[in-house]
Amino acid sequence: MLLIIILLAIALLILGFEMFLVLGVPSLLTKEAYYSTLPDAAIIQKIFGGIDHTTLLAIPFFIFAAHLMGSGQIAKQLTGFIRTLIGHTKGGMGHTAIGGSMAFGSVSGSAPATVAAMGNMVYPEMRKSGFSEKFSLGLLVASAETALLIPPSITFIIYGWMTGTSIAKLFAGGLAVGILLGFAFAVMVWFEARRAGIEAGQKTTWKQRLIAAREAIWALGMPVIILGGIYSGFMTPTEAAAASVVYAIFVEMVIYRNFGFKDLVEITERSAISTSIIFILLAMGGLISFYITLAQVPTQITEFLTLIEAGPLEFLLVVNICFLIAGMFIDPNSALLILVPPLFPVAMALGVDPVHFGMIVTLNIGLGMITPPFGLDIFVAASTLNKPVLNIIKGVWPFVGVNLIVLFIITYIPAISLFIPNLIFG
Amino acid sequence: MSVALGFIRNIERYSLVGIFLTMVALFFINILIREFAGTIASDFAWIEEAVRIMNGFLVFLGLGLALEKGRHVSINTIHSILPTKIAWFLYKIIDATGCLFSLYLVWQSYSLVKFVLMTGQTSPTLDLPMGWIYTAPVIGFSLLALRYALSFFGIINRFSNQGES
Repeated sequence: MLLIIILLAIALLILGFEMFLVLGVPSLLTKEAYYSTLPDAAIIQKIFGGIDHTTLLAIPFFIFAAHLMGSGQIAKQLTGFIRTLIGHTKGGMGHTAIGGSMAFGSVSGSAPATVAAMGNMVYPEMRKSGFSEKFSLGLLVASAETALLIPPSITFIIYGWMTGTSIAKLFAGGLAVGILLGFAFAVMVWFEARRAGIEAGQKTTWKQRLIAAREAIWALGMPVIILGGIYSGFMTPTEAAAASVVYAIFVEMVIYRNFGFKDLVEITERSAISTSIIFILLAMGGLISFYITLAQVPTQITEFLTLIEAGPLEFLLVVNICFLIAGMFIDPNSALLILVPPLFPVAMALGVDPVHFGMIVTLNIGLGMITPPFGLDIFVAASTLNKPVLNIIKGVWPFVGVNLIVLFIITYIPAISLFIPNLIFG
Repeated sequence: MSVALGFIRNIERYSLVGIFLTMVALFFINILIREFAGTIASDFAWIEEAVRIMNGFLVFLGLGLALEKGRHVSINTIHSILPTKIAWFLYKIIDATGCLFSLYLVWQSYSLVKFVLMTGQTSPTLDLPMGWIYTAPVIGFSLLALRYALSFFGIINRFSNQGES
């Protein structure tokens, strides 16, 4: 019976059923087949319980803030400022694409939102400066992945909520991992610029940089509010997310006068629907993890690993392979919801640090978002830039390779993930 | 039919926008009160619970609209590869499955609402009957079932809006 349920889930996935049906229908069948004595009320309680948590409120607020900033001036101002700082280097527009994605990531927390915001802004400039279409598309899609790691990050919030890991510690760990990933991409840009003979960008004077900083001062206030608010202990991540929405509305509507009340209504509606889409997956995830716990899947995995005498390193290799395969075929949030409940308790039993495990999981999730055939960011870039999916896929492969190297480093050198959290929290 | 559907859409839209903006405002006010009027902060402990409940309604109220706009996550590459007739048949199966699934959850949520109302259980700070809070999935899954049904009978064409996601 279990085999039939798993095959059904795979069939629903391949046939293009909505993802919440792919998660929900097999869950209901599992209940009927194995746990029919459990009260039916548990179904809705688990679904509702999957979303009814204060920590998770940070997600709708960060989504809202990202939509406001992507539609307005904040993203442009941040990228403009980054360009005056690093645009003059060899392959400067490539570095600007990475820096801009990291800067937008430091205020938005969503990789698809970063691809959408950066795409139209940076892609034409990259092409103008001499980068090939293939490389430009690949870099834009890949560097958006840093948004998942640079705090704030929606993926860290979900992981933290699922596992009880401190979100502030995860954010701190993500900073080092995000910077390492950005640096790895910057090395690729440097090699590509040399190979293609791309000249250094126009030199910027310190006066021009100061002017750009002054122009971007309101945009630069956003990371200060979010990160400063969280790490000074002034706000929780959820409160910082709500404050970022108020700040974004104030800056875009009052300071930049970029949009009016009608636009605000449209952006609010769009953000609400995005929230609904993510949360229905979380709700179905609540149901799935309930059955995974009931079936004692983590205990069975631990027993199996003990039987074959596998240690933490072998286990982490298996984790990477599982996420990589899942990420190629299902969306990142669903991969998180299906794989973390059975794997996290095993990781803890083997002595893996929860923050380190969070970095590995999130890096894998990010890798899944740029890995063909179903990487979500590939499709966002295709729709934002109006480019064929195949062109983006061609460009993204080298970055997938570099990403795998970074994943390997992060997996086997836990200190990279842990030194900032240890520095801040002791 | 289109007038009724337009009416439902408007209610959904304005409810979503109203709820979301209220959530942001309440949570922000909560921070201000805690920082600048700490002595009365305990009087506003209800805000967190209110925002959580509103988020529940936001999530479920958005389900139908998201489906109509083709925004729900799905791996639908196969739809563009299949011959038109087979794709049409597959759409009908997806719609029928989605509709039955949603109706089943409407029934389950409604049973839970009745049961919890009977127990008299209330929320910790707002003292709201918990049964009313569980009406969110009743309404949300009803709106979702309606969109699946409308799509099944060809009244809305949600698949033409669907991007690959």
